[in-house]
Amino acid sequence: MNTLIIEKSEDSPAVSFDPISAQLSLSGESRPENAGKFYNPLLEWIAQFESLLYWRKEQKMDQKPVVFSFKLDYFNSTSAKYIMDIILTLSKLSDKGYPIRVEWHYDQRDEDMLDAGKEFAEMVKLKFEFISS
Amino acid sequence: MPDNTLSAYEVHKFMSEMDILVAFTGHFDHQMITILMKNVRGKLRNSATEIAIEQKVYCVLVECVENVSKYSSGNQIHSGSGMFLLCKSDSKYTIITGNPILNSDIPILKEKLESVSKMSREELKQLYRQQIMSERETENSAGLGIIDIALKSGNQFQFNFRPLTETTSFYHFQTEIEINP
Repeated sequence: MNTLIIEKSEDSPAVSFDPISAQLSLSGESRPENAGKFYNPLLEWIAQFESLLYWRKEQKMDQKPVVFSFKLDYFNSTSAKYIMDIILTLSKLSDKGYPIRVEWHYDQRDEDMLDAGKEFAEMVKLKFEFISS
Repeated sequence: MPDNTLSAYEVHKFMSEMDILVAFTGHFDHQMITILMKNVRGKLRNSATEIAIEQKVYCVLVECVENVSKYSSGNQIHSGSGMFLLCKSDSKYTIITGNPILNSDIPILKEKLESVSKMSREELKQLYRQQIMSERETENSAGLGIIDIALKSGNQFQFNFRPLTETTSFYHFQTEIEINP
């Protein structure tokens, strides 16, 4: 399966999903013209990645923890729904026994971004690591 | 002196008196919003406001402006057209948007705005959670955006509708972000 790399643009975040290292990140501003068109391929990639995790488990291979890093400067309310979808998907993976780590990066001066992360974390049974810069 | 010179001066004077940082009237499509928001970012950076407030103003403004484009988009005659103002005084930022809207869209919008305006912070958070879990593929819904505006502004917003034609009205929306809450 391929690494998913999307360059950041003026209205959409940079995406880097690496199946080998199991490091996934989303960084920048999210206000795409069509949020579904931007986020659905990301959700599809994660669904495929689950098959890979399953296969590795069946092969009794060492499972590296999946690390998802949110490094968002800003997201609009339409993007929020899709970010919720990603977090729900990660939460389901965690329920199935795959080791998942969610990192929520925020500017220490931006309390709303920290609150947004706490809010997402509260809605799922997933522990977030909050990392300020 | 020709009249238009005088009116330019009057507009300039009015804008200074009203503390208008950014004013725009025209077509609100996605590309235009992107250009406008870049400009707003720059203005906010230069206005020496704390990052936390700057982010709040930016977030609320994007939701307001995206609402203009949503609500005026169903309108064949005035598709995507509207205006916004961003004003800054010593104590607060004021965001004003205006756009023509179909009268048939007013009842549902009014009901949403009125119910949100009466909610406490806790009720708003509750509704936000409910909406973010349930709403899918309904990008025309103003639900989450309005709740976000209410949460970030401390539920300080006003709105009204002024009749334009038999089928359309002008939708005025205004919200404030305090600089030292």
